[in-house]
Amino acid sequence: MAVLISFSAAAAAPSGNLEKGKQLFLGMCSRCHGVEGAGGEGPNLSRPVLANAPDDTTLRAVIRDGIPDRGMPRIRRFTDSELDALVVFVRSLGRSTGRAAVGNPGRGKAVYQRLACASCHTIAGEGGILGPELTNIGAHRAADYLRQSIVDPAAALPRGVMAIPGRGFNEFLPVHLVTDTGQEVRGVRVNEDTFTIQVRDTAGRLYSFRKADVKQLDKELGQSLMPEYKSRISGADLDDLIAYLASLEGAK
Amino acid sequence: MRTGVTLFCLMLTAAGTYAQQVSYQRIAAAESDPSTWTTYSGNYQAQRFSLLDQINRQNVPRLKPTWIYQMRHAGIVETSPIVVDGVMYITEPPSTATALDIRTGRPLWTYTPKIPSDVIIIGSPPVNRGMAILDNLVYFGTVNCHLIALDAKTGIVRWDTKVDENKKGYYITAAPLAVDGKIIIGISGAETGIRGFLDAYDPKTGKRLWRTYTVPAKGERGSETWGGESWQHGGGSTWVTGSYDPDLHLVYWGTGNPAPDWNDETRPGDNLYTSSLIAVDPSDGKIKWHFQFTPHDVHDWDATEIPILFDAEVKGRPRKVVSMANRNGFYYVLDRQTGEFLTAVPYVKQTWADGLDAKGRPFARRDADPKVDGTLVYPAIAGGANWWSPSYSPKTRLFYQAAREIAGVYYKGDAEYKDGTAYTGGGGEVKGGDEAYGAIRALEATTGNLKWEFKLLTPPQAGLLSTAGGLVFGGTEEGDFFALDADTGKPLWDLQLGAAVRANPMSFALDGKQQVVITAGSSLFVFGLP
Repeated sequence: MAVLISFSAAAAAPSGNLEKGKQLFLGMCSRCHGVEGAGGEGPNLSRPVLANAPDDTTLRAVIRDGIPDRGMPRIRRFTDSELDALVVFVRSLGRSTGRAAVGNPGRGKAVYQRLACASCHTIAGEGGILGPELTNIGAHRAADYLRQSIVDPAAALPRGVMAIPGRGFNEFLPVHLVTDTGQEVRGVRVNEDTFTIQVRDTAGRLYSFRKADVKQLDKELGQSLMPEYKSRISGADLDDLIAYLASLEGAK
Repeated sequence: MRTGVTLFCLMLTAAGTYAQQVSYQRIAAAESDPSTWTTYSGNYQAQRFSLLDQINRQNVPRLKPTWIYQMRHAGIVETSPIVVDGVMYITEPPSTATALDIRTGRPLWTYTPKIPSDVIIIGSPPVNRGMAILDNLVYFGTVNCHLIALDAKTGIVRWDTKVDENKKGYYITAAPLAVDGKIIIGISGAETGIRGFLDAYDPKTGKRLWRTYTVPAKGERGSETWGGESWQHGGGSTWVTGSYDPDLHLVYWGTGNPAPDWNDETRPGDNLYTSSLIAVDPSDGKIKWHFQFTPHDVHDWDATEIPILFDAEVKGRPRKVVSMANRNGFYYVLDRQTGEFLTAVPYVKQTWADGLDAKGRPFARRDADPKVDGTLVYPAIAGGANWWSPSYSPKTRLFYQAAREIAGVYYKGDAEYKDGTAYTGGGGEVKGGDEAYGAIRALEATTGNLKWEFKLLTPPQAGLLSTAGGLVFGGTEEGDFFALDADTGKPLWDLQLGAAVRANPMSFALDGKQQVVITAGSSLFVFGLP
């Protein structure tokens, strides 16, 4: 009897379920997946097919059991009806069309080459290492996020895509340090613990220091080594570049 | 030949009868033999302090591995070893008991009970924190909520008692506490809406001697602090091992959150005895006194941190003290004879209470309650402290705590009770990464005033050991194992062990040489001087 009632209630009020799912998503999921599921630390969910959750059963399992080694925690606190609502909402993200990139990916690739983005970024094995790899960036970040990364890089710092330095940490964090012997290094943090820090400088050289031997360590939180492209790219070129990046979903 | 066999048998008998009998008296006199470690926290006072002083400020940088044991069972390792008479007793995740030769780390026996594949573990990872030993048996709990007694020499099962129904969400992660003639065990499961309790079992037969519910039934004292029938699924787990005062004949045990955790609509009132410390007479299980740290808890402020016992002058009067760095962010000092509140101060940033009144009751901020769209509160959901052990040094009279400086967002959600499913009414997320940090803090034990701190990159989930050698040992989430000067907090030695430290350090002596033990990842490391 209880099952029948809840079934008919759900069938009669899908919009209520959607709204409830949205609230739950905003609460538990949005920090990593973005407010609109467009991706952040976690992957972009506003796509028709999710690699790890192609159907509702696998989506429920991913929410309940997490994805070990990929940063997705298991979330055991949802009731069955909350889980239903969350699945309904996540599925609705894949049907929304407003988030699609408006530019031309082919022309965007040319913009990417013209701006020499590859001097710092790698796509499909080609390019530099100072900034994040972009081979799979379309699966992780939606168009709005990519736009911000280009126009104002420091406002959209990468977090949580890589296993190192770890969940929640700023990736490619610019650091500046001076050792007791006067050696000065500027670069990005590769990893860190309480006693040591590993840094890669702009020339790609790796350094590892014991903090006890470092007299000054500045972590430049909220800053990026990537130049601002606000004044260097706009209009159709920017749309095209975003469309190109959004199309990058790695090896199929 | 024949003579040889007879002699060998005689020697075995002698060893079996005398050398390996870990009597209650021997456990109670832990100080008389610091080469052993016979309870979860090292002594009944739960101080996690070693009287061994061979490893000291000068020679600690020379520590080298004596041996390393790698767990045969995957999962998070939170075990605290017992060491006595040449054997180390550990548990492996989720419910395996293993005995190791303390000379080599070679396993002597291992026992894994049958755990049903549909075992229900909601509210924590599937872990086990260790064993208890009494006379010739060792004891441990399982994730399907059994308490098992094994022969300490062979691992043969002596008895296996079902503590309660795992189908309803009851499970065990805590190490038992062995006192005179009783094995006391606490349970987990408040996130499934269990009704919590503390149990005592006959060490020889496994027969239950008493059960004390942490949530009173209708009509019982304290039941007026629960609305309607909410007590039936009121939570109040007892998932971390308590301490014991043999002279006062009282067991001190922390209790966990009321259920549902973050949706309090069904449970108006203080919700006794959740998020409390209870002082229990081990002969009959009666609650002699209680102190509720967080009345009507809505943040999951389990009081299942270690209650440490020591004697000291507090505000000009000699006192028998029990103290606790609570998950809610305050460090408390209580009189352990009466439960009288003596003092409390925050030891981490907290934003859920506007201080405490003269009796230690918090002025809880209702605007810090969980909301559907989230409420930002310090500390985060794991609290300022949690299950990992603090340490108290009678030499420095400092209380050492691995503290978490981190905010969390608390959400209120639906709460529908159904046997063996989540009954939390919400949840939380943590503001980790570069926004958070941790610290080892040394508090003046009678006041909670900060004496020194040593900062950690991230909030820790590992306990501390202090030693008569003037050291404090601890670990980090990034895998550092380190030693600090117990007087100043100055770092003296550290080593990267390659995976998160999520356990408590302890110490013992091997052939008269002090060893320090810690687990990181799935490995157990024993360090000594070369």
